[in-house]
Amino acid sequence: MEYGEVRELLYKLCALRGTSGNESAAAAGISEMLGKYMQTHIDRLGNVTGTRGEGFSILLDAHIDQIGLAVTAVDEDGFVKVAKVGGADCRVLTAAQVTVHGREDVFGVITSTPPHLKGDDDKKVKKFDDITIDIGMSKEQADKIISPGDRITFNAPFDTLAGNRIASPSVDDRAGVAAILRCLQLLEGKETCRLDVMFSAQEETGGSGAKTGAFNSQADEAIACDVSFACAPGLSSDKYVALGSGTMVGYAPALDYKMSRRLTQIAEEKGIPHTEEVMGGRTGTNGDDIQVSGRGIKTALLSIPIRNMHTAVEVVDLADIENTARLMAEYIIERSAGNA
Amino acid sequence: MLEILKELCSLPGISGREDKVRDYIISKIDGFCEYEVDPLGNLIAFKKGAKTPKNRIMFDAHTDEVGLIVTGVDSDGFIKFTNVGGVETEVIIGRNVRIGEKNIPGVLGIKPVHLIEKDEEQELPKKDDLYIDIGAKTKEEELALVSLGEEIHFESEFIEFGDGFIKSKAIDDRAGCAVMIDLIRSELEYDCYFSFSVQEEVGLRGAGVSSFTVNPDYAIVLESTTAADISGVRGEKRVCVCGNGGAISFMDRATVYDIDLYRKALEVAKANNIKAQTKTRVAGGNDAGSIHKSRGGVKVLTISVPTRYLHSPCCVCKYEDIESVRDLAKAMIAELAQ
Repeated sequence: MEYGEVRELLYKLCALRGTSGNESAAAAGISEMLGKYMQTHIDRLGNVTGTRGEGFSILLDAHIDQIGLAVTAVDEDGFVKVAKVGGADCRVLTAAQVTVHGREDVFGVITSTPPHLKGDDDKKVKKFDDITIDIGMSKEQADKIISPGDRITFNAPFDTLAGNRIASPSVDDRAGVAAILRCLQLLEGKETCRLDVMFSAQEETGGSGAKTGAFNSQADEAIACDVSFACAPGLSSDKYVALGSGTMVGYAPALDYKMSRRLTQIAEEKGIPHTEEVMGGRTGTNGDDIQVSGRGIKTALLSIPIRNMHTAVEVVDLADIENTARLMAEYIIERSAGNA
Repeated sequence: MLEILKELCSLPGISGREDKVRDYIISKIDGFCEYEVDPLGNLIAFKKGAKTPKNRIMFDAHTDEVGLIVTGVDSDGFIKFTNVGGVETEVIIGRNVRIGEKNIPGVLGIKPVHLIEKDEEQELPKKDDLYIDIGAKTKEEELALVSLGEEIHFESEFIEFGDGFIKSKAIDDRAGCAVMIDLIRSELEYDCYFSFSVQEEVGLRGAGVSSFTVNPDYAIVLESTTAADISGVRGEKRVCVCGNGGAISFMDRATVYDIDLYRKALEVAKANNIKAQTKTRVAGGNDAGSIHKSRGGVKVLTISVPTRYLHSPCCVCKYEDIESVRDLAKAMIAELAQ
C-alpha cells in the first residue's frame, strides 16, 4: 500500500481514546510516539508538548481530543443518559456502537426504534435528550462500573477504503497529529531551527489547551494543523475542495498573510498538491487562539480535507496527510536555513 | 448453539441472496437429517424422530436478513442504493457497510453538522439523497469494485456484553435458524420437518412455498421480534422483555393465531418450567402470515426471541431467551404430534 508510514501513524492514533478534558489515555500514547523525536511533557491542561533545537522557533500544533459524550446518569432501567462533549451530531447517533469508559470499558448501543413500532411522528431526528445507551445491565450492575462524567466514544472500525482512503472515528484531528509526526520523520537527520510541538487538549470544547500551550511556547511562528471540509454529495464543488486534492493552505484575517503566501509558493516550487482555503475572519481552529496568545504569534494553518466530520466515519485520503507533512517539512527547512 | 449463532450472524444474506447462509446450515445439519433445496432456495429438512406422529409438524425460521442493494453509481463515484426489507435511514446514516462478492468496505456519509441549516438539524436526508462512499474517485473506479444488483450488508461484529446480552446484525432471524439447527442435531421424539425459508423480509415469500411442499398440520415459526423493554417504556408498550423467555403471539399484522395453540404454548411452558411471555402489542408480522393460508390452512404458532433494535445493524437480545425458545419448541412437539 502507498503512504504506508502515514497509514501506520493514523492507525495507531485512531486506536487511542481521548475526549475533550479527558485526554490522558490518548496523551500517554501520543507522548510515546512524539518521544522518538524530542523530550516530551504533559502540561497542566493535558497538552502533550515537546521541543528540540535552539534559536528561531516554529510551533507545530494539532489537537488530540475527539468529540464524544459524557455520562450524566444511569436511569432506573439501567440505561445511560448523556451530555455532548464537543459538537456531537444527533443525526448519526441512533444505532451507533459506543464504548463507555467507566471503571472498565463497557460496550453499548445507542437505542433505536424499529420500523414495526414507529408512529408517524417518529420520523424526525431524535432530540438529544432522548439519546440513551443500552449497556445490557440493570442499574445496580451499571452503578458499580459507571459514574456521571465518564466519557463515551464511538466504537467503529478503522476501515480501509479504496484509493488509500480511511474511514474512522477521531480522524479529526488525529490526521493532523499524524501529519506533524510524519513531518518529524521527514526531517530526521536534518538540522532545523527550534521546533516546538504541541498536541493540544480541549480543541473541540473551545481551544483552552492551545491558548495555554502556545503561551508556554512563545515561538516566533506557528503552524496549526487541523481537518477541514472536503466536498461530498450535498455540498457544492465550487465551494469545497475534492478529497485527495492536497493540503489546504489557510488564508484568513486571523492568519499571517506572508506565512500563508510563502506556504503556497513553496508548495508550487516543490510540486506538492495543495489548494487555498479562504475564510473571512477567524478559522475555527486552534490557530485562532495561538495567534493571540502572550505577545502574539505569527500563525499559519494547514488543513486536511475530510468527509463526514464529527461522525464515526470520518473519511480521509492518506495522500492529503502526506502532502501536509511534506509542505510543513519544506517550510521548516527553508525557515531554518534563513534564520541560521 | 452460541458458536453456530455467531457464525450464522456473520454471514451475509439479504433477501434473495441467502446462498451463503443456506450452505452453512447444510454443513451443520448434513448427516443428521434428510434435506432438499427447493427452486426458491428454501432448505427443507426432514428429521426422523423416535416415533411417527399423527400430525405433521413443520418448524420455520427465515434465512434472509434486511439490508441494502446497489442500484447505481453516480458520476463522482458514489454508490446509490435502495433498502431490502424495512430499514430506517436513522440507523444506517454514519455506519459502515460491506458490499458484494468482494466484501468491499463502504460508509454512509452525511453533510457535516457544521454546514447544515437550522431546519436540517431535525431532518434526516431523503432516501434518494443517501449514498455510500467506498473511496473511489470516479465512476469507472467504482464499477471495477462494485456491480449493480450486488448486496450490501451492515458491518456489525457479534459481541457478547452486559448481563448475558449479545449484539449483532441479523439476529432476526439467524436466532431461529440456530434453534432449528440445534433441534435437528438433537434426538427428537417425533418426526419433524424444518423449513429454512428465504425472502421473509420482502413479504413472507419463501415460507408459503415450502409449506405447500411440506403440507403440515401444524407449523411453529421461530422468530425474532421487537422487544421495546428500554429506558422509560412501561407496561404493554414494551411488547416483550429480554430475559422473560420466548414471546408468543396471539395476533400480529400478518396473522390471527389459533387461540388454543397460543394458550397451549403458554401452558406447556409453565408445566415444563420454561420461561415464556405473551407478545403484548399487535405489531410486525412473520412467515406465519403465509403459512397459515397455505393449501387448505395450517394451524400456526409463533415463538420469538425478544430482540431490541430489530432491523438495525445492532440487534440486541439475551442468549438465555434463545435457549428458552428452543426448549419450548422442543416441548411443543409431543403436544402437537398426537
